[in-house]
Amino acid sequence: MILPEIGEDGQYKLSKAKVLVIGAGGLGAAILPYLAAAGVGEIGIVDDDDIEISNLHRQVIYKSLAVGKSKAGEAKLMISELNPLVKVNAFAEKLSGKNAISLFEKYDIIVDATDNISIKYLINDACLITNKPMVYGSIFRFQGQVSVFNYQNGPTYRCLYPDENNKALNCEDAGVIGISVGIIGMFQANEVLKMILGIGEVLNGKILVYNILNNEQQKYDFDKSDFQLMSRESFEEKYNKVEVEEISFESVLDEINSDEILFLDVRNEDELPKISLKNQIQIPLLDLENELENLDKKQTIYIFCQSGIRSKIAAELLQKHQFKNIKSIAGGVLAMKQLLETDINL
Amino acid sequence: MIEVKYFGAVAERTKCEFEKLSFFDELSLQKLLQDLDEKYQLESLSFSVAINQKIVSKAAEYDLQTNDIVALLPPFAGG
Repeated sequence: MILPEIGEDGQYKLSKAKVLVIGAGGLGAAILPYLAAAGVGEIGIVDDDDIEISNLHRQVIYKSLAVGKSKAGEAKLMISELNPLVKVNAFAEKLSGKNAISLFEKYDIIVDATDNISIKYLINDACLITNKPMVYGSIFRFQGQVSVFNYQNGPTYRCLYPDENNKALNCEDAGVIGISVGIIGMFQANEVLKMILGIGEVLNGKILVYNILNNEQQKYDFDKSDFQLMSRESFEEKYNKVEVEEISFESVLDEINSDEILFLDVRNEDELPKISLKNQIQIPLLDLENELENLDKKQTIYIFCQSGIRSKIAAELLQKHQFKNIKSIAGGVLAMKQLLETDINL
Repeated sequence: MIEVKYFGAVAERTKCEFEKLSFFDELSLQKLLQDLDEKYQLESLSFSVAINQKIVSKAAEYDLQTNDIVALLPPFAGG
């Protein structure tokens, strides 16, 4: 607070800031105490792991007696003891396409302290959707990288590393010493504080690479690439694709006369045998996408075709367009025929 | 002469953190990457490429100049 760059105004900004740290491992163990001690008002911690004895050399906030306990829970305890004024939220769960957006919406800054490439892409994409900056840090043995993505409309992780299928090694596989994660975590905490306080130069569009063996550091500039920004719809499609639920015709026999359920035949009009149920319409699969506006998204729809393949594709299409109550009838008309001989108009 | 810097898993493959390479006439970025690929089998590794501290597309058409510094930067995943 004595620092002129911070002062009372800065301390107030810190107390109002909300920071979510994903991962309470080596990087998180360096970031969390400094954010808490600086007086960041609200800190969220996401980690579903329990503390293992092999973690203790680099995850220095945990005591040996806490082996077996939840990392998120123990990190919360550490912060509360360090600075009781900080509001701490521990989420002992895995970050996924289901919880990421609702979690990120509640915070100002998202810190990537994970050790997993696919989660980094998920964090990046959820930051794009919620328009939050992502403070990236990562280690390979004695080298570390730090950057801030999606800050003030700046470039993202995908602009730096577009190839999502790369096979970078994590600490468990590559090995790491505690100090390298400590140093890189500290750089990340520094970026967080600079953004909150509005001081210095944030690593926006720049990646810092630090080598602890020779103390060399390099900064590289990178630009925003012109790929389409991820939309909420493509996020859901990528991370939350719902499996199509299949049901047997036998199990819906009781419902074939129900007004609540629409039976949708996605075969072509010339396909036999014809089926005529009470509440039934026919839209061939190829026309379905153009007819969506004539269907009710809340309506329960059971889809069938000749053998159950096209109906599954149709169900996927409807689910992609936010239809909620869709089922595909397994085996299609061929399976129905055996059960409904009398009702079929051949 | 140009200098090529290697980081992370790429440096592990090349067994050095940098090397200086001389070339005659012209050397395009793509030709350099192709030569390094043949020398070190880098195709299984993912990395971004920087010229003089600036990340460029690997497909960029660029003729390297004397004193250029090229860096191969793989993503890291530890934490």
